[in-house]
Amino acid sequence: MGNTLDKHRRAFLIQTAAGVGAVAAGAVPEAQAQTPQPASMAPASAPVQPVGKGAGVGAFLNIDNAIAVEAMAERIMPGAAGKPGARDLGVLNYIDLALAGPYARLQEFYRLGLAQLDAYCNSEFKGGFADLTAEEQDKVLLALQQGKASGFEWPTAKDFFETVRTHTMEGMFADPIYGGNKNYGGWRLVGFPGAQAMFNKDDMETNGPFVREPIVGLQS
Amino acid sequence: MTTRKTDIVIVGVGAAGAILAAELAKAGANVIGIERGPRLTNEDFAGRDELRYFERLDLRPDPITQPITWRPNDKARAVPMKQVDYGNQAGGGTVHYGALSWRMHETDFKPRSTTIARYGEKAIPEDSALIDWPVDWAEIEPFYDQAEYDLGISGQAGNVKGQKLAGGNPFEGSRSRKYPLPPLQKGQADELFETAAQKLGYHPFPSPRAILSHDYKGRIACSNCGFCQAFGCPFGSKSSTLVNKLPEADATGRFSLITNAMVYRVDTDNSGKATGVSYYGPDGSENTIEADVVILTTYIYDNVRLLMLSKTERHPDGLANSSGLLGRGYMAHIGARTFVAYDKRYVNVFMGPSNQKHSLDDFNADNFDHSGLDFIRGAQISVSCAALDAGPIGATQAITPPPGMHNWGAAYRDFLSQYFARYAAVIAQTENLPYLDQRIDLDPNVKDKYGLPAPRVTYDWRRPNEIARIHFMQKKLQEIGAAMGADKVWESPLGQGSPGGHHQGGTRMGSNPKDSVVNKYGQTWDIPNLFVIGSSTFPSMGSGFNPTLTIQALAYLSADAIANKYLKNPGRLI
Repeated sequence: MGNTLDKHRRAFLIQTAAGVGAVAAGAVPEAQAQTPQPASMAPASAPVQPVGKGAGVGAFLNIDNAIAVEAMAERIMPGAAGKPGARDLGVLNYIDLALAGPYARLQEFYRLGLAQLDAYCNSEFKGGFADLTAEEQDKVLLALQQGKASGFEWPTAKDFFETVRTHTMEGMFADPIYGGNKNYGGWRLVGFPGAQAMFNKDDMETNGPFVREPIVGLQS
Repeated sequence: MTTRKTDIVIVGVGAAGAILAAELAKAGANVIGIERGPRLTNEDFAGRDELRYFERLDLRPDPITQPITWRPNDKARAVPMKQVDYGNQAGGGTVHYGALSWRMHETDFKPRSTTIARYGEKAIPEDSALIDWPVDWAEIEPFYDQAEYDLGISGQAGNVKGQKLAGGNPFEGSRSRKYPLPPLQKGQADELFETAAQKLGYHPFPSPRAILSHDYKGRIACSNCGFCQAFGCPFGSKSSTLVNKLPEADATGRFSLITNAMVYRVDTDNSGKATGVSYYGPDGSENTIEADVVILTTYIYDNVRLLMLSKTERHPDGLANSSGLLGRGYMAHIGARTFVAYDKRYVNVFMGPSNQKHSLDDFNADNFDHSGLDFIRGAQISVSCAALDAGPIGATQAITPPPGMHNWGAAYRDFLSQYFARYAAVIAQTENLPYLDQRIDLDPNVKDKYGLPAPRVTYDWRRPNEIARIHFMQKKLQEIGAAMGADKVWESPLGQGSPGGHHQGGTRMGSNPKDSVVNKYGQTWDIPNLFVIGSSTFPSMGSGFNPTLTIQALAYLSADAIANKYLKNPGRLI
C-alpha cells in the first residue's frame, strides 16, 4: 500500500507507540468523548489486552493493513456524536487479535484482500482506501459488496467485503474480552444488556426499554 | 488399540442415543456409548458468550475440519456448508438447541393416504416419494407422553382425550394428559403476535419447550435469560439429555461412555451380521467394540456415512442398502421471514427463550384446505428473533434491513440502534416433501480431519410444490405482520436453494424392505442386530414442526421394542 499517505502512517505509528488509541485516518471522533460510560459500567476487571494497549495493532496486521482495515470498519459502522462506531469501540483491535489467533486461517485472505483493495482504489480514485473521502470509500464498499469491483481474484470482492463486515460486527458487539466493544459501547448503542442472569415477569411484560444496571459481560 | 465387549453399543449419545442408553441399561443390558465430542457440565456453560457459541459454533461441528458439502444438483461441484447446526458433544443437539418440543399431528403419520383421500392422487407431485409412516398415532402417543414427562416439557395442551382446551393448539392430536409443566412466561413478542393472530381468526398458543417453567425432578426453573439456542444452559433448566438421561444411565452401573472417539466403521461378519464398531481414539488409535447389538444414533450425516463406509463384499453398496435408498429422501425445513419494528414501544426479543416463541398451527400440515392451491402440506408460523439467538451479533447476521437500506453505514447503524430492542421476526418453518434424488453420498473430493470422505448433499428445495407453498406462507407472514400494529413491516428475501434447518431422511423407515432402509423400530431390514434411530429415519418431515420430540418418542418406542422383544428373542421384529 505504497500510496497510503505518509501523514496517516506517521499519525498511526506515533499513536501506537504512545498507546493512546488509534487515530488512523483523521481527527479523534467526537463520539469517543461523548459515549456515555458511567463508572459503574466498567468491567469489574479490565479485559486482557495482550498487545498495543488498545491501539489496535501489533498482534498480526502490519501498519498499512491496519490503517486500511480500520478505515473499512469505520465506514461499515461509522461513529457519530453519541453513537460510537468501529474506531471508538476498538474493532481494529478485535480483528487484529482474531487474525493472530482464532482466525489465523484468514491471514492470507486479509493480506490478499487488502492488496486487491489497494490496487482497485488506486486505479479508480488514485489513492489507497484510507486516503479516499468518505463518499469515495462508500462507493468502493458498495462495489465490493455487489461484486462490481474489478481486479479481484481470491478472495473475491464480495467475500472480502462480507468477511470484513462480519468481523466488524463481531468487534462491535462481542464481549469486550475479545478486544472490541469497548466499555460495552456496542451493546449500549443498540440497547442490549448483555448476559443477564434473569429477566423477571415485569421485565418480560413491560413494553419499555430494559435499563436495569449493570450490563453483564464475561468478566463482570 | 483396545477391544472391549458389551451387549449393546450406541454410536452418538445425543437426543436419541442418551434415551436408548438409559432405557436399555435400566432394562439390564450392558451398554457402551461412543461420543465424538466431550462430555460437558452445566458449569462449562457459565460464560454465555455470543461470539463463542453463536458465531464461532462452539458446541457445533467445525465446518472446516468436519465438513459437510452441498451442491444444488449433480452437475455442480460441492462446497462445504458454512454451518450445520447439530451437536458435537454428549447430549448432542439437545445441549444447544432452542428446545422446541413438538408432537407431530395425528395425520402427519399418514401424509400420503390423507392427501389422496382429500385431494386425489394427482395432488402429490409425481417426483415426490411421499409415503405413510409405518407407525401411527395410537402406537406413538404413549411414547410422546413418556418423553414429555420423563424429559420435562413445558406447554399448553390443546386436546386431552379429545377434549379441546382453550389456549392450546386446537390442531394437536388427542393426548392422554396435559404437559407436565405449564408454558413459560410470555414476553412482548408473544403478546403482539397473539393479539394479531386472534384478530385474524387464527389460533396462537405458546410453543412447547424442553425448558422448565417450574422446578422439576431436581432441576430449577428457567430464568428467562434468553441464552437458549446456540448455548448450553448453565442453570440446567433446559431439558437436554445431558442433564436428564445421561445421569440416569450412569446410575445403572451398566453404562459407560467413551468420549472424543470417532466411529469409522460398523463391523460385520461373513454371515452379514453386525459384530460391533471400530473407532479412532483421541490419540488416533484404532479401537474396537464387540457388541451383540449396534445402534446408530448420530445425526443423519454420520448415520448415512457410516453405513456407506462400512460396505463389504456381502454389502457392496453399503450396509442395510438392499433397497438402494440409503442416503435418499433428504429433507430440510424451508424458511420465510417477515420483520416488524416499532417506533413507540419496545419488544425485547432477547428476553426468554429466543426463537419460535408463540406459534400458530392454522397453516401447518393439512390443517387447512389446500383445494385450489398448487401445493400440499404447510408450515409452522411463529414469532421469533431473527437468528437462532437474540443477541446483537445474530441480529447483524440475520436481520435483513428494510428495502433500500444497505446492511452497513450510518443509516444501518441508526437502524440497529433504534430497532434492535424494538423488532420481532414472524417466521414460517415450512415442510419439504421427500424427493429421492435429493440425497447424501460420499464426497469424492473433500475429506474430514479423520481422513474420512465428507458427507455430500445434493439438494435444492426450489421445486414447484415447495416454491408455491413458500410464496403462500410469505403472504400469510405479511398479513400477520401488518396486523401486529408495527410501524415498519418488511419481508426478508428467500434463500438460494441450500438446506435450511432440521435435516432429515437418508435411512427412511417404511413398511417393507423395498421402499425403506429400516422398520418402525429403526431396525435395518437387512441386518437385524443393526438399528438406526434419529431424524434420518423420517420418511417425510411430518410437518413444519421441529423434529426433536418425535426423534425422542421414536427412541423410547425403539428402546421398548429392543428391551422387551428383541433381547428376549433376537431377530427381525417385523
